[in-house]
Amino acid sequence: MRVILQTKPRKNPHIPIEAEAVIPQNFLRKNDIRVYEGNKERKLEEIFYITTEGPAVSPDQVEIVLAGETGTLKRVGEYMNAGRIVVEGDIGMHCGNFMSAGEIIIRGNADAWLGREMRGGMIRCEGNAGHYCAAGYRGEKRGMRGGTVEVMGNSGDFTAEYLCGGEVRIHGDCGDLTGVEMRGGTLIIGGNCHRPCGNMTGGTCMIFGNADAMLPTFRSNGIEEREYEGQRFQMMVFRGDVANRGKGTLLIRKK
Amino acid sequence: MSELLVRNAYVIDPLSGIKGDIMDIAIRDGKIVEEVGRNAEVIDADHCLTLPGGIDSHSHVCGTKVNFGRYMSPEDMRAGRTARKGVMHVTSGYSVPTTFGNSYRYSTMGYTTVLEGAMAPLEARHTHEEFTATPHQDMLANTLFDGNWSIMEAVRDRDVNRAAAVVAWTLSAVKGFAIKLTNPGGTEAWGFGEDVHSIRDQVPHFGVTPGEMIETMIRANEILNLPHSVHLHCNCLGVPGNYQTTLDTIDLVPDLNAKRQSLYLTHLQFHSYGGSTWRDISSKSEDIARAVNNKSQLAIDMGQIMFGRTTTMTADGPMEFKLYMLHHNKWSNHDVELETGSGIIPVYYSRKSLVNCVMWAIGLELALLVKDPWQCMLSTDNPNGAPFVKYPEIIALLMSRRFREREMALLDPRTGHYAPLPAIDRELDWYEIAVMTRAAQAKALGISGIGKGHLAPGAEADVAIYPLKPGLLDPSTDYQQVMAGFGKTRYTIKRGRVVARDGDIIVEGANSTIWTKANVPPEYNLSADPEFVKKFEQYYTVRMSNYPVQDLYLPRGVRITTEAAL
Repeated sequence: MRVILQTKPRKNPHIPIEAEAVIPQNFLRKNDIRVYEGNKERKLEEIFYITTEGPAVSPDQVEIVLAGETGTLKRVGEYMNAGRIVVEGDIGMHCGNFMSAGEIIIRGNADAWLGREMRGGMIRCEGNAGHYCAAGYRGEKRGMRGGTVEVMGNSGDFTAEYLCGGEVRIHGDCGDLTGVEMRGGTLIIGGNCHRPCGNMTGGTCMIFGNADAMLPTFRSNGIEEREYEGQRFQMMVFRGDVANRGKGTLLIRKK
Repeated sequence: MSELLVRNAYVIDPLSGIKGDIMDIAIRDGKIVEEVGRNAEVIDADHCLTLPGGIDSHSHVCGTKVNFGRYMSPEDMRAGRTARKGVMHVTSGYSVPTTFGNSYRYSTMGYTTVLEGAMAPLEARHTHEEFTATPHQDMLANTLFDGNWSIMEAVRDRDVNRAAAVVAWTLSAVKGFAIKLTNPGGTEAWGFGEDVHSIRDQVPHFGVTPGEMIETMIRANEILNLPHSVHLHCNCLGVPGNYQTTLDTIDLVPDLNAKRQSLYLTHLQFHSYGGSTWRDISSKSEDIARAVNNKSQLAIDMGQIMFGRTTTMTADGPMEFKLYMLHHNKWSNHDVELETGSGIIPVYYSRKSLVNCVMWAIGLELALLVKDPWQCMLSTDNPNGAPFVKYPEIIALLMSRRFREREMALLDPRTGHYAPLPAIDRELDWYEIAVMTRAAQAKALGISGIGKGHLAPGAEADVAIYPLKPGLLDPSTDYQQVMAGFGKTRYTIKRGRVVARDGDIIVEGANSTIWTKANVPPEYNLSADPEFVKKFEQYYTVRMSNYPVQDLYLPRGVRITTEAAL
């Protein structure tokens, strides 16, 4: 089943829409789906033109396509556990919170907190991602625990903060404090980043660009040759963060 | 004049000697009366279990350290959210909820009176402000004296009367209810980076021992004729082998009061550990329970832990530091000048941890091995052992051996080797549960005289009607129903008004704060004592005239006045 949600013109298009109900498992049962526009509860059809094509017997077979002014939609795919969401444009904050399975494809940019505390599944963002991409939330000591987040463009500050499992791949640059408090999982950065992996206790971080303002609390472990996606690279190996008795691995490509 | 009649109630009222009679309860203007007119509003209790409103005799729900627990745990605030609904405010939080969250959840469980376990005198204003925002429970505040410099000097000089005078002045200044000692001496030693390891250790720089402080305070308490006894959190909390310290403390206690205990030992589960390290920790609940059974001048509460996430908070600063060294997570440490300190860390009690399993067993063993339910009260030291919303589950565990066995099967298999719980057959009955959750508290806190914890004519009309029919229910097999029933009352009546019905809060509520004032002769009035005034001016950052809490902070204060025998 394919559900196409095209946004309707709104009087004030800047008011964010809390769309945590937009997940494949909700569309299977065709029950009354409601979202909030600001503090007003709205029926789904008040916000979107809805087109449904084909049948589905399980949520795996449900695909949701979001089109139009999608940049104000928040929390799309929260607690998603199957199926597929395709966003034709940008997406708002908290996309894919706590998702455990299924996939989300974003053709445009994603705002902050993309895939926060994700448990499983796959998110691919073809544009840039905001701050706190694949991070944990305030106070929580375990962030993303499984699954994959792939960003083709750049991402903001605190990328993969409290990363605990799964894999995060940023093809472009990252902002400040990338992979801070990492305790597991894999973080791969194609471009540059700033102050990576502070207080890291576990996991692996690979950086193919420059690591600016590298923290002094990492112990150098020489140079190793690593294979990544069919190519071989000379990587400088660091262990740390020593300040926190950390056993993480930080690999930075030798120029 | 508002009148209310509760018909066909299955009443257990231990303080009045009612052990399960079908009767009517008449209420007029917030008090229980003999009978009401024909126009009274009627509630048909339909033979459901009806008890006096619950009383929690040791809980941390208001005050600076609870609030600090709130802001250091934003992740806890994400749990337990409820939206605004009718008169209900928005609530959030699980182990340290908002004040309204606490109040509504207690109300839903039929609790109408709660004692805040530890109020730092200097920070009393904040505690009282939060009391007014806990609208469905009458509140009392235990006031911390464990590191009070004036008290320690009086103890060093062996001057019981002076200690009594300090207590009398402080309680009336901060509108406190009773004396709380938390790791006496230890918290102040922690201010110098040290701790005490038994009740005979000298507190560094003060020349007193915890044992001397406890003895002096027990006597000072009786001189002032305070309604409650000294409320003690023993030294060495959470240290393997600490049961010896607890037994030594119990040995100190004289029998000085015919009406109630002379010493209240709180969260005794945390003080009943054998062994010498975390690897060989074992339960010494049998020794502790034997000592309590032999001394009728003692009252204790369980301090049960339940598995899951919670936040520990106590004035016992050094203990929290030890916990921090185990967990390496967030930690807060706080010093209150010349008075006390505190520490807070979040914890997770796990079924996979043998230590946690043994702790879980010890709490239940204490409740089951202490023969007289009037001596052992139900508590989790909320939120240290578990949030108070777990009380129904603890009641079900105490009432059903089968439930205990089922739970034991999920624990570390070695638990039975370190704790005697599997060998205990006792199952508590409805009457014993009623004692352990309200009547014993009213007696121990000395507030039955102002109409708390019973349903005799003249008492406050605090009533909890649970959807449980004791005649039709066997708690040892129907423990799930017991748990659900105690978790949500059909009606909670507070001062003659129905405040909660089937889990819904239906009135805004307005609580009162109970505090004590001991009248002392003029020569013991410290506000005119040159030495005390001088010390205040010299050391405190607050002027003495600004220190007392104004009446403004207690919109509905209830004062208990006593005459000191000085």
